[in-house]
Amino acid sequence: MAQYVVDWILLGCFYAAIGLGFSLIWGIMNIVNLAQGSLVILGAYVAYWSYTLLHLNPFLGILVAMVVVFCIGYAIQYVIINRVIRAPILVTFMLTFGLDLLISNVLQAVFTGGYRAINTPYSGAAVNVLGAHIPLLNVAVAAIAVALTALLSLFLSRTRLGNAILAVGMDREASQLMGIGIANTYALTFGIGAALAGAAGGMLAMTLQFSPIFTGQYTLFAFVIVALGGLGTPWAALAGGMIFAFAEVFGPLLPGVGFGLDTAIAFAVLVLVLILRPNGLLGKPFYS
Amino acid sequence: MSHASSYPMASNATGESQVPILELEHVTKRFGGLPAVEGLSFAMRRGEVLGMIGPNGAGKSTAISLIGGALAPTEGVVRFQGRPITRLSPHQRAQLGIARTFQVTQPFTQLDIRDNVIVGALFGGHVRSRKEAAQRADAVLERVGLAGKAHLKGDELTVADRKRLEMARALATHPEVLLLDEVMAGLTPREVGNAVELIREINQSGVTVLIVEHVMQAITGVSDRILVLHHGRKIAEDAPDAVLSDPKVVEAYLGERYARQRAAEQSRRALEGHENATQPSAPDDIAKDSQI
Amino acid sequence: MARQTANREPVADADAAPAPRENREWQWSLGIGVVILALIGTVPLLGDQSVLSLWTFILMYCVLAQGWNFIGGFAGRAAFGNVAFFGIGAYTVSLLLLQNKPFWLGLTLAPIIAGLFAFLLGLPVLRLRGHYFAIATLGIAEALGEIVQAKNIGAPAGEISLTPPDLNFKVSNALFFYGFLVLSLLTLLGTTWLTRTRFGYALVAIRENEQAAESLGIATYWYKVSAFVFSAVPTAIAGGLFAYWQLSFDPVGEGGAFDVTISVAMILMTFAGGAGTIVGPILGAIIIEYLDQYTSIAFPTFHGPLLGLLIILVTIFLPQGLVRLIQELQRNPAGVKQSYPMRVKQGVRRVTRFILSNGI
Repeated sequence: MAQYVVDWILLGCFYAAIGLGFSLIWGIMNIVNLAQGSLVILGAYVAYWSYTLLHLNPFLGILVAMVVVFCIGYAIQYVIINRVIRAPILVTFMLTFGLDLLISNVLQAVFTGGYRAINTPYSGAAVNVLGAHIPLLNVAVAAIAVALTALLSLFLSRTRLGNAILAVGMDREASQLMGIGIANTYALTFGIGAALAGAAGGMLAMTLQFSPIFTGQYTLFAFVIVALGGLGTPWAALAGGMIFAFAEVFGPLLPGVGFGLDTAIAFAVLVLVLILRPNGLLGKPFYS
Repeated sequence: MSHASSYPMASNATGESQVPILELEHVTKRFGGLPAVEGLSFAMRRGEVLGMIGPNGAGKSTAISLIGGALAPTEGVVRFQGRPITRLSPHQRAQLGIARTFQVTQPFTQLDIRDNVIVGALFGGHVRSRKEAAQRADAVLERVGLAGKAHLKGDELTVADRKRLEMARALATHPEVLLLDEVMAGLTPREVGNAVELIREINQSGVTVLIVEHVMQAITGVSDRILVLHHGRKIAEDAPDAVLSDPKVVEAYLGERYARQRAAEQSRRALEGHENATQPSAPDDIAKDSQI
Repeated sequence: MARQTANREPVADADAAPAPRENREWQWSLGIGVVILALIGTVPLLGDQSVLSLWTFILMYCVLAQGWNFIGGFAGRAAFGNVAFFGIGAYTVSLLLLQNKPFWLGLTLAPIIAGLFAFLLGLPVLRLRGHYFAIATLGIAEALGEIVQAKNIGAPAGEISLTPPDLNFKVSNALFFYGFLVLSLLTLLGTTWLTRTRFGYALVAIRENEQAAESLGIATYWYKVSAFVFSAVPTAIAGGLFAYWQLSFDPVGEGGAFDVTISVAMILMTFAGGAGTIVGPILGAIIIEYLDQYTSIAFPTFHGPLLGLLIILVTIFLPQGLVRLIQELQRNPAGVKQSYPMRVKQGVRRVTRFILSNGI
């Protein structure tokens, strides 16, 4: 049982990292970014190559992934999504699905669909507590995820740029009047959301296997995490990650469920929550 | 209940309809604890025009939504022809004969003006066929003066025409009660004149009208009675003249600037300026009222 | 625009009876649709099996896009999980065939079961707004595929394999082709009928402005649920035809009966052709599916990225679809007499303005 609890907490923190950027993009711009999973996998590749080619420390690799994916995210929003930002939600939905298809297929064409993972000499390091196996790398990743959540929260509430992003999220027209450049702020928001996806990708590369065929799965996870937690704050993503991980770890133990139903469990939980609490368990309908 | 006492102007009542066509009884709406409308009670006679005024945030639009059904009251009862409708959805109320317009106009933008109005006729208007609905729509468009623009799309209209479209669509549902939410806001004086004329015509055709406005001048001419909301509470309900000269309304509602202007104007005309002397504390009065 | 209308008052010409104009519009749409389908109907005469297969797929997507058009195009809901109805149809037919029940029984039950499913599912999910509805429907479809796979429904891992019909394969392929053709034609007639009824007006009003629709006496919730059921019926029949035509298929993954890409294809096609129009989905299905098949043969490596790029381009530059684009180019809102090129020139300006208005 202790093992399940450990698995749950570590997975929950990692899931928070997956949901964090998605939550920011959704909350501020009302865009459900279906390319989020692709950006995660993209980040994983950047981290992977900076380790295998440049021999960078994988933790630095996370940083590199964040920078690279930030730039790509900024460009995507500035050049593409800003063009349809006022269109009905189905349009941005379709558009980001197209982006997902584009990125994941390019990745697949370039890197093939094979599984990869970063293997360091210390990858297997672990301690045993109360009979539970605790992999240290996963603990580090969980810590980074929580740190990123805290940083995003501080960034939004304490910095000028963070405040501008929140202002744009609350009222586009009014913030425009206050002299905030919308196009740039949106691009920065998407860039930051993408960078967070990139970070999650770096963490993914360190702890699990990845492949371009997983992009859709991580997008769905991100959605479930954010919908469970709600949109209100970055911390809601952490809560959502925890709830989702709980369902994923303990769900299969229920009689009659069994393994192989990750998505079904996720959505069963999701649909229940949506119907009972349409704004998520903790969240508010807007970002603040 | 309290509406009986707040019914001072029964002079031109027809007498035959004892049951008010629309009645609110102690209706309260709170948003997360904050009251938008509190203990609002009033009743409307069939065929009258009631004006509802109040500053921004007074709860006027909330009151319209409570009557139209877009919002459910936290407390209180809404009655239509004596029958409680508090639990009915907006479309059920529309089918009963309560039509509304929206302060922020809500056209069906991709449909042309005629189809916009046909929708109203088809679902609220007791018509049997699409053809009949189209005829009704054409008649309504003619009446509100949009017939020449029937082919434009919902988002190709000027502000004044958008407001007229709101009225046309609501009228097409064949309403008994028409709720007009700031249909004159943003119009030029000439357009306001046209709108007032139109509302008078609509009323004369037998429709009971509740008209909400931010600006008092626009509706004093057309309203039989005026109700004043302030911070979600009713602070006055009387004939237009009486309301206009009610110091409580002038001071507490219309604001100091208006009061000062008025005082200056009156002293210039060497009239008795007793408004400045009496400083009624409106909130206390209301608190007493709502205890009844 | 307002200035033009002011000029126009005196010219309020005798065509002030707009009814015939509208009539022409739906008659035109229906006519064009029927002609297109009739032309496609000659494909089996070519005798080429791979061409026949391509056009059978195109017709199948015509039906799927037409089905999505009810909930997505008319009622304007971001339904992302319509593939669920397709999968339900495919598995209903397959399960019955595996028990040696006749094909027609499966094909009859498929739309009934899918319609019932749409009704029961629609009751909760159609209370959700925007993105939440989209993802809930998407999730249901994904989850159904996963359940079929994990619970080995019909076959191990749900990987269905059926005995072919007792017919010459050329004959049976032609029959499936005409099956989809008839289904598409019926859906076309259904769509046309819809646009002429209260039901159709209600859905469009809901799409354009749900709050206003409700305030005018439209029971928005029930109309949405009905549209969802309407959407499920042709989709499920298409799924049933697909199952017996393809004979073997998986529940999930590329080409699977619950593959989300099919949902996306329906939406993309309807969008490209014109959501909420009568022939739009047919046009969109023909163009997109043809392009898709062509690129997958001509540039197999870049097929996926190209499809992604196509989606991006369509959503940015053709957000209202071909049919609306053509209508808008020809529309004459000012009502003034002007030459056709002038009219189109103004139309181009309007369309450009519309596309730009979606951006910042």
